[in-house]
Amino acid sequence: MTDTAHTTELKDENVVATSPWREMATMFVRNYAAVAGLVLLTLIILFAFVGPLIHPVDPFEMVWAPFTTPMQDGFILGTDYLGRDILAAMMVGGQVSMAIGLSAALVSVTIGVSVGAFAGYYGGLIEELLMRFTEFFQVLPTLLFSMVIVALFGASLLTVTLAIGVVSWTAVARVTRSEFLRIREMEYVAAARSGSARDLYLIFNVILPNALPPIVVQANLMVGSAILFEAALSFLGLSDPNVISWGQVIGSNRPYILDAGFAVAIPGFAIFLTVLAISLVGDGLNDALNPKLRQR
Amino acid sequence: MGFGQILAKRVGYGLVLLIAVVVLNFTLITIAPGDVADAIAGDMGGADASVLVEIRQRYGLDQPFMSQLWRYLSSVAVMDLGYSYFYNTSVTELILQRLPATLLLIFSSQILAISVGVLLGVMAARKPNSLVNLCVTFLSLFGFAAPVFWTGILLIILFVSVHPVFPVGGMMNAALIDASFFEQSINIAYHLVLPMVTLASIYLALYSRLTRASMQEVLGSDYIRTARAKGLRENKVFYKHALKNSLGPLVTVAGLQFSAVMSGAVVVEAVFNWPGLGTLALQAILARDTPTIMGILFFSSLVVIVVNIFTDLVLRMIDPRIRAE
Amino acid sequence: MKLAFKSLFAATAVAALMATSATADEPKTGGTLTMAIQQTPRHLNPAVQSGTATGVPGTQLFASLLRYDEGWEPQPYLAESWDVSADGLSVTVNLVKDAVFHDGVPITSEDVAFSIDTVKANHPFKSMFAPVTEVATPDAHTAVIKLSKPHPALLLAMSSQLLAIIPKHVYGDGQDPKTHPANSENVVGSGPFKLVEFKKGEHVILERNENYFMDGLPYLDRIVMRIMPDDSTRAIALESGELQMSGFESSPRNIVRLKKNADLKVSNAGYAAIGPVNWLAFNTKAEKLSDPMVRKAIAYAVDREFINKALNMGTAPTALTGIHPGSPFYDETVEAYDVDLAKANQLLDAAGYNKGSDGMRFGLSIDYGWPAMKPYAEYMKPQLKKIGIDVTVRSSADFPTWAKRISTWDFDMTMDNVFNWGDPVIGVHRTYSSDNIKEGVIWSNTQQYSNDRVDAIMEEAGATNDPAKRTALYAELQQILADELPLYPIFASPYHTVSSISAVGNASDSIWGTSTPLDRVYLK
Repeated sequence: MTDTAHTTELKDENVVATSPWREMATMFVRNYAAVAGLVLLTLIILFAFVGPLIHPVDPFEMVWAPFTTPMQDGFILGTDYLGRDILAAMMVGGQVSMAIGLSAALVSVTIGVSVGAFAGYYGGLIEELLMRFTEFFQVLPTLLFSMVIVALFGASLLTVTLAIGVVSWTAVARVTRSEFLRIREMEYVAAARSGSARDLYLIFNVILPNALPPIVVQANLMVGSAILFEAALSFLGLSDPNVISWGQVIGSNRPYILDAGFAVAIPGFAIFLTVLAISLVGDGLNDALNPKLRQR
Repeated sequence: MGFGQILAKRVGYGLVLLIAVVVLNFTLITIAPGDVADAIAGDMGGADASVLVEIRQRYGLDQPFMSQLWRYLSSVAVMDLGYSYFYNTSVTELILQRLPATLLLIFSSQILAISVGVLLGVMAARKPNSLVNLCVTFLSLFGFAAPVFWTGILLIILFVSVHPVFPVGGMMNAALIDASFFEQSINIAYHLVLPMVTLASIYLALYSRLTRASMQEVLGSDYIRTARAKGLRENKVFYKHALKNSLGPLVTVAGLQFSAVMSGAVVVEAVFNWPGLGTLALQAILARDTPTIMGILFFSSLVVIVVNIFTDLVLRMIDPRIRAE
Repeated sequence: MKLAFKSLFAATAVAALMATSATADEPKTGGTLTMAIQQTPRHLNPAVQSGTATGVPGTQLFASLLRYDEGWEPQPYLAESWDVSADGLSVTVNLVKDAVFHDGVPITSEDVAFSIDTVKANHPFKSMFAPVTEVATPDAHTAVIKLSKPHPALLLAMSSQLLAIIPKHVYGDGQDPKTHPANSENVVGSGPFKLVEFKKGEHVILERNENYFMDGLPYLDRIVMRIMPDDSTRAIALESGELQMSGFESSPRNIVRLKKNADLKVSNAGYAAIGPVNWLAFNTKAEKLSDPMVRKAIAYAVDREFINKALNMGTAPTALTGIHPGSPFYDETVEAYDVDLAKANQLLDAAGYNKGSDGMRFGLSIDYGWPAMKPYAEYMKPQLKKIGIDVTVRSSADFPTWAKRISTWDFDMTMDNVFNWGDPVIGVHRTYSSDNIKEGVIWSNTQQYSNDRVDAIMEEAGATNDPAKRTALYAELQQILADELPLYPIFASPYHTVSSISAVGNASDSIWGTSTPLDRVYLK
């Protein structure tokens, strides 16, 4: 009696299916590097968003003599060329840099997923046209083109975000399309199609949710590269002077590199840590997705 | 499909792309506020309305959009990219003048990145639990996450300020203008070191990781197991078979990355004042020198298209799997 | 006998002393000087282009009629002598007899007349030769400049880059001199150096003009002018010896840093004629700024001391008026508006601009034209916040965009840097004259300021050669301007010439900085 009950229990456990998300999460947690990245990222986010509550200094205000070295006169990270507190700038700047990173990635993902989804789903002429469209944007020199957009239309948060988003979506489109191509052939999709389900419903409610994992990984990459992109544009002088971001701090302090290198090295380091954390998380997600590695 | 047919198809398509790029750039610059006339006027120290009208007439800016576009397209077709009012020379000449410096930077850094990257990747694949493997992991993380200008600035601080070993910028000591070719080359090489290493740093990380992953995948495949079973020496297995088959993805990525390499070059050139297309582009943008800006955008798209075609063809040649298509 | 011997001994001793001191300071001929310039010049002909980017190389290629020494005294150059008539309406210039252009063609009074006409027609500074009615050429080496009224600025206008003597036989071919090919290539000039190579964005290379009319000059074989826009790069190159000289250095950090170097001479002598003044300009027709109380309040809020100490690191002289502090006409007794936040707040309260719930009364925008100006514009934001003005900093990606904004009056406030160019008639009048409110022209009266008395003063001061009279007139002018505040002057650009002490001799000997012939510079 007890034996059969026991066996049935075991069988039940084996039969319970785990969703792909749960599987990914489990894999992720086992990956130390990925977890470390997540922890680091959380700390950075706390620093940027909670920090100003603990250290409520206006990053625009000139609080002390310019170029005070870090740890001197009570300024942990020193002051910049106008005598503004770098620690405050790091916090507030972090909010902006990450916000820009996220928004630009959002723009990229929106465009990329739309293009890739329609291309992968409809195939034929639509796919051909959309893929050519994608290739066109791939060929454009990304940094140069976004520099031109920002220079022509003025440097504001909006133009910078759009400029970055508009040149970076092609990788997302490719990934989305290949996922759609793969999933389109699966049984459950064919089944849904044979019913009277409309195309748009199929695309966004049936296929897309299952295509998400690699897209999420790609999107994660996009955030990191968008942050780097914004930093590069700011370094070259194309940033909004009314907004403090890490890249903007680097750009404004660039003429003073040789005498006060810390003003450039510190925000650079902040960017490095953030992008590092993001890519560790991304790597973890990627490994969690990769079936071959799962067998290790 | 025969090789020639494929080539023709690719080239034809590349041309279409190029035209699309030109049209896009032209449209963008036309709809943006301000135009070349303002830039010229600003440069002259200001001009009143009548002078502006005269300038616009001279540059054909008062013509309807389509006719301006058509004029530009037809001149581009004969490689006449316009005239830079700012530098007072033809854009084509300007680009050709600055091109060698950028090519030198890009190719030397790519060669460095590929050779060292492959070497590291192979070493790491060979000994999966070694220090080298760890190094490759860290290096690849650093390479991706560190902003390229930050790396450049750190190198400057280290090797120019703290321990002056390399020059701070520029390509060649101008006083050497009459020196022998050999002497000039040595001096250029000396100036090239820091920018080259900076630009290589991103891709070195990428290539070493890619090679390692690729090698690991190939080493686990049936093909290699068969070779080993046949009794082939480990070295031969490793280098002749595994490495050769892993190069495919590397070539693909290297080719695809070219556009990104050019972006990186723009920033590196800005950091080190390297007189290439990147600094030209930046200066042109800051001076609103529209013909030059458009010329550079066109030219870099052209280069990317050519490199893509080239990569595609090379891939077909070296990777038997694709050849079978 | 004894006396004769003593005097012989004394004479020999003196002679020996003189000989040794002479060899110690004696300029040597030869060598290549490597110096830096900060921007790529559009072309090399200063007759049709203003700005020191063209001026520095241009004054090596083209000679002018006069040159000025450090004491503001005019010295002969292409003009070996000159004479101003008693009524001030005609100036006779006698040219050096054996001067030739770089192609060997003699320089005659026809070329002088042609040059003055060309500059008058093409150069942006209309006030330099506006009163010239004609230039007569009675013989090949005499030019008589006829004026419609006495023109005190004329002599200065005939020096440095303001009147480059260009060859009529090259530029008189009907082509537009502004775009003439000879402006950048195969330059036929009249100056101490000839053009070897002009590579945009990289360098200008000059070599000695063997037929230069001043015997024994220039000392240098060659000058290599490297185009280096980046301040830090230039500083390092100067320290390492890669560069031997650089003019117009104005980055405070660099100046302080380079001064510490024992081998570098960092001198601010010689820029008085350039006269660069930095100010906060107001668009007096903009809504809030048309109220003089608002402008006064802002003046009281801006802390010149902080700017000069912290941002300029003590390297820049304070400027209280729009006339450069080094000019003989500068009046330092004007109202200085020393920082007084309480007073500024009072003025605004009294004028009816009340603070809102966020502490702000109203908003204003501020522009800046190029990166070096950015810190000062950014300074205004937190500083004016203290008196309740919410400042938005507007950036322009490029100079033409900024120039267009300011010249079409699409601005509230802007940082600006304008040169006096020697005589107030040339560089100062243009900022305040109601005739010079010209849409589209940068560095005109972009503040849209108009005051009849000011116009009258400038008219009078520009038509008399009497220095005492002019000093009094300009004093009155500065007092009025300090009261009406179309702009608030802050500091004079700290231009310095940096040169290697061990390598370079005679680095600065004029009032025009390095925009002057470097024919007397030598390498040790």
